Amino acid sequence: MEERRTAPFNTGMPDAVLKCVLPYLDGPRDRASISLVCRRWYELDSASRKHITIAFCYTTTADRLGRRFPAVESLKVKGKPRAAMYDLIPDDWGGYVRPWVQEVAANLDRLRWLHFRRMIVRDSDLEVLARSRGGVLRALKLDKCSGFSTDGLFHIGSMCRELRTLCLEESSIVELDGQWLHEIAMNNSILETLNFYRTDLVQVSFEDLERIARNCCNLTSVKISNCEILDLVGFFRAAAVLEEFCGGSFNNEQSDRYNAVTFPPKLCRLGLGSHRMPSVFPFASLLNKLDLLYALLDTEDHCLLIQRCPNLEILETRTVIGDRGLEVLAQSCKKLKRLRIERGSGNVSVSHRGLTVLAQGCLALEYLAVYVSDITNASLESIGTYSKNLCDFRLALLDREETITDFPLDNGVRALLRGCEKLRRLALYLRPGVLTDVGLGYIGRYSPNVRWMFLGYVGSSDTGLFEFSKGCPSLQKLEMMGCCFSERALAHAALQLPSLRYLWVQGYQTSSQSSDDLLAMARPCRNIELIPARRVITTDQVEEAVVLEHPAQILAYCSLAGPRTDFPETVISLDPVL
Amino acid sequence: MSRATVELDFFGMEKANSSKSQFQKFIDRRRSIRGIQGAISKMNPELIKSVISSGSTNRTPVDWRKSFSVPSSPKEDRSSPVPSLPILNPALRSNSSDDGTETAPLTIFYNGTVSVFNVSRDKAESIFKLAVEGSSKNVESADSSKVANPSSDQQNLLESRNGDLPIARRKSLQRFLEKRKERLTCVSPYAW
Repeated sequence: MEERRTAPFNTGMPDAVLKCVLPYLDGPRDRASISLVCRRWYELDSASRKHITIAFCYTTTADRLGRRFPAVESLKVKGKPRAAMYDLIPDDWGGYVRPWVQEVAANLDRLRWLHFRRMIVRDSDLEVLARSRGGVLRALKLDKCSGFSTDGLFHIGSMCRELRTLCLEESSIVELDGQWLHEIAMNNSILETLNFYRTDLVQVSFEDLERIARNCCNLTSVKISNCEILDLVGFFRAAAVLEEFCGGSFNNEQSDRYNAVTFPPKLCRLGLGSHRMPSVFPFASLLNKLDLLYALLDTEDHCLLIQRCPNLEILETRTVIGDRGLEVLAQSCKKLKRLRIERGSGNVSVSHRGLTVLAQGCLALEYLAVYVSDITNASLESIGTYSKNLCDFRLALLDREETITDFPLDNGVRALLRGCEKLRRLALYLRPGVLTDVGLGYIGRYSPNVRWMFLGYVGSSDTGLFEFSKGCPSLQKLEMMGCCFSERALAHAALQLPSLRYLWVQGYQTSSQSSDDLLAMARPCRNIELIPARRVITTDQVEEAVVLEHPAQILAYCSLAGPRTDFPETVISLDPVL
Repeated sequence: MSRATVELDFFGMEKANSSKSQFQKFIDRRRSIRGIQGAISKMNPELIKSVISSGSTNRTPVDWRKSFSVPSSPKEDRSSPVPSLPILNPALRSNSSDDGTETAPLTIFYNGTVSVFNVSRDKAESIFKLAVEGSSKNVESADSSKVANPSSDQQNLLESRNGDLPIARRKSLQRFLEKRKERLTCVSPYAW
């Protein structure tokens, strides 16, 4: 009796049993739940958690991470808001990896996989990382990062000899030479994934690539920048188990020489910047992933290629695919899971016609992101009817057409949300008038599982936002652009939405009168930052100055770390005046 | 503390409505001038020319709502008053005449070009009104959406988004498309 009163909460399960069970539970939500049961379970979880994702780097500090999860083996940290990918965030906004690298170097002895996304990395950070963990680091991903040069990569190449994965995709890297790749070629024999796609690293030598292919017998994925394909004949021959290849360029005038290029036999994920695809036809039926974002194909080329790819699961391309290409896709690619159609620069466009056919034909679709020139309620209803596996839906309406066929889209959006029960992520970038306040209310009411939303130019008044914020029970991250909402409505929404922990807004009704409207959303452990409206002058390709007026931005997020201390001049912290 | 909170009174938290800080007034003035300039710079040049030419041929105003859609600037605050626009037509003010038919030069700076038109005062005022209405279009469309009105209001409801930022493209794709354009223009033997 005495024991039971004084003993801590006793689940009746000895630690040893729990330790056997825990390794099987690695989902972050399960682990979060476990850690809330009691102090003992919290401690066991802390000691055994293998992977942590810090969804926004300013929500906590690196030393808190080290104190709670000293045994972490895999860490992913994300920095700048997503809008940075569209040039809407000042370059020096923040998101520095330094404190995280310092924690890794000092305390996180078991760390093997490291992934930084949209963060600022310095050469010195890479050197510290390489010196401290170079002997054990197995994966390093610098994804859409900036601030470093090939000198930093040199340290990685020379000291991280256990590296299986090096990914630099879409990072802005200052290129001084190609020595970093040479270091990897000389020191590494176990590389499996090498990725510097969508970077401007051009001084790499194809001989180093060939050497890597020869030395690394497990090399399965290589994505490069613009290296001439004809120079890679030796590389392709050596990379016997290569499954994924993206990049390269086709600059040679004598295009028949490309017929001599043979691709590795197991290649099933491909992205080529070519204007011709016949060399791909022989193994097109093996392809399950195709990246045509940088290809120079027209609609007809798309159709000819796609109809030869019955096993295609992932396709990325531009609007040049057209509605006709979507029809071919619907007929030929029944296994399609992910489709992303980016905005091209030509006249061909995708519309509701293509989307309807696609929804009816590709029933396995899980991810659909598309820029359309026109959209109807009926096509959104079709998606709701047929795309039962859809988890992620993103639609952007282009400015090309002055009117769209059928608006408002309130009913179509409602039908889509009610039909796609698995929807977790939603983006709608429209125009004023296309989704009314009623439609915005529908989004609130019919998106029970959606965790992330991006809404552009939706609703027409604060009423819409009030209705919206009555729903969305799972919404954790909300991004909005071009809002007609007042600061008061935004603050109200931020307080109402039960799961919201991150809010980003650009373009809203700033109040010109004295008000604490925005600060109404202030709470302990919540930071509010403002980037006032600014004018950005860039030069376009004809060396003319282009002036862009960026509206003000608000960023509000939950944080255990208190306000930031590393602001650039463009960012202002709103501390409530107590 | 390495960096204290900057006390910029954007929202006029500490001061009353009437007594705005110097900085706040500066911001407001800049915003309204920029807004007007912004609105004018986004107007369709054909629209401007047609309004002016219709003034010189007949007196009935063009129903610009039916033929053109004027881009809106979503972030304009409702409270900015119509300024006197000294920037645009110093000549006209000095030439004020009662009957309003006397023409005076109206200089318009648009998109890096300068155009001078001889317009009557009435026409000039209707052009200014268009510019101001163009910048406050967003307010109107919010109200008109309540009225269940079919096609004639379609143009009004569907303002394009060109207010402040064009629809953004991912940086990496933007770079690719620009490079491709460059390459195509270089390939042509007649490219200068």
